[in-house]
Amino acid sequence: MTLWRWLRAPLWLLVPVMLLPYYWMAIGAFKPVAELLRQPPTLWPEHATWHNFLNPDWAGITADPEKLAGILQVSVEGHGFLRFYANSVLVTVVVTAVSLLAASLVAFVLTKRPFPGSRWLFRALLLSMMLPWEVTIVPNFITVAQLGWINSYAALLVPGLAKAFVVFYFRQAMLSLPDELVSAATLDGAGTLRIWWSVVLPLQRPALAAIAIPVAVGEWNGFLWPLLVVNDAATLTLPLQLGKMAGDLSFNPQASAVLMAGSLLASLPAIVLFLIFQRQFVTGLQAGATKG
Amino acid sequence: MIWRRHGRHLKDGLLVSPFFALFAVFGVWPVLRSAWLSFTDYHATDDPVFIGLGNYAELFADERFMTALANTCAYMAWVSVISVLLGLALALAFGSDSPLHRAVRVAFFLPAVAGGVGAISAWKWLASSEAYGLFNSLRAALGLAPARFLGDPQWTLPVLVLVGVWSVLGYNLVIFVAGLRAIPKDLYQAAQLDGASPLNQFLHITLPNLRPTLAYVSLTGMIASFQVFYVPYLMFGAVDTLGGPLDSALMLVTYLFDRGFRHLDLGLASAAAWVLTLVLFGLTWLNLRLVGREGAR
Repeated sequence: MTLWRWLRAPLWLLVPVMLLPYYWMAIGAFKPVAELLRQPPTLWPEHATWHNFLNPDWAGITADPEKLAGILQVSVEGHGFLRFYANSVLVTVVVTAVSLLAASLVAFVLTKRPFPGSRWLFRALLLSMMLPWEVTIVPNFITVAQLGWINSYAALLVPGLAKAFVVFYFRQAMLSLPDELVSAATLDGAGTLRIWWSVVLPLQRPALAAIAIPVAVGEWNGFLWPLLVVNDAATLTLPLQLGKMAGDLSFNPQASAVLMAGSLLASLPAIVLFLIFQRQFVTGLQAGATKG
Repeated sequence: MIWRRHGRHLKDGLLVSPFFALFAVFGVWPVLRSAWLSFTDYHATDDPVFIGLGNYAELFADERFMTALANTCAYMAWVSVISVLLGLALALAFGSDSPLHRAVRVAFFLPAVAGGVGAISAWKWLASSEAYGLFNSLRAALGLAPARFLGDPQWTLPVLVLVGVWSVLGYNLVIFVAGLRAIPKDLYQAAQLDGASPLNQFLHITLPNLRPTLAYVSLTGMIASFQVFYVPYLMFGAVDTLGGPLDSALMLVTYLFDRGFRHLDLGLASAAAWVLTLVLFGLTWLNLRLVGREGAR
């Protein structure tokens, strides 16, 4: 490996490039608008302000850049940033929790309690994993529209609950589970649901934690599907609102300070959780990548 | 006894039935339906009308579709090549278990975790065509005139490739580190005893043993970059044109979104989705052929 020591020097230069957008977002969130539009840009906020989050001088619609609404004061049809934030948290938590529990139960039944036809069900899951999900979006959009779910939480939640790649992941983890454990519990008279809940699930905790991460990251960042089924402020998710604000950037550079504040708030939970649970994130995202 | 077993099977089947009902409605049925719709003229209002291969013929006669296909292929090729080579170099350079190297890997892995719309907005701001964007400030410092990074078609691909590589590099790095660690140490020790140079060790031990990892990283990277959507959409899309300046940022999924959901040409959009699928199948097949089955994992 000694050959590669000389390679390291230029590669070090990539580290600041990797962190650049986060740094720029973090300092941009605290720069006053006038400073953000200065050229050349300041590398550290000269007059740090929290007005991009909450502006006490805000007084309705105005052209004065000093009186723009902070990100927490931004309102779309009467719904504010915290509403979009809560929507994203709701979608992430519900989809992750329900899809993991459902997939774990299905994987348990298919591997340890097979019934006639269960092999075919598993093959169908495998087959569906080979197709890109874009194939399903047109029909799923039609289905959701026919159910009258456009602009509802159901549209954001229900189609994402049955995840084949999570079943596949749990099946791999389940194979190492000793059969004796299940048969012992069966002799004790426990039903499938009970064995799964009180024997299998506790043993599967590491697998649950690992696969929860890519699922949650995917839901938190979900963009195309929400873009199709939601355009009403009440059910808008965080990426959609930030995306709208980013789209207006070229017409309204003043809004960039507020956008950086919003981007920071949206990225922060993932960054903080990642720094705490580094190892779990890395293993988990490697596992989730097999979803193809 | 048989009766009891049937009863158990029935109960177990009932337990998994909610999952499979959802899977059927949102996972299986849409595949069949989109395959059927791809052969029909369907605009959401009237019933689909069978037109054979009409949509596919229309796609390949549509200049915008060919632009989207070409843009997507160019983007995929650049991102895959750069991110695989750089990822491998980084894994060789920062692969040890020292706290410093681990911290470096964390920095590279950050976009895999927090690479969503927020970070892309920051990139958009950095690349702003105005003089106050950081990219243009750097150009000004070098005495160059400001470039319209987001408005000049010749800058579109470089900007997209930069952000694309940025977002997958850490992931590749981590997979390569795992692959390098799986190579038995005694192979290197034996080679050192034989007096093999570091370069020869790399060429004759590291590379051949890394083949499955290389195949895996390049295949998953190619599949993911072929489905790129929200980065070009957010950075270059505008209300009037989703594809950015002169459609230079028009990707396959953007095209699908545009035709399917802005013009409600749902038959054509379904056909576009199946072309995308066939390309991905082709890439997978090619990868298996080139690297052998053990690379597929």
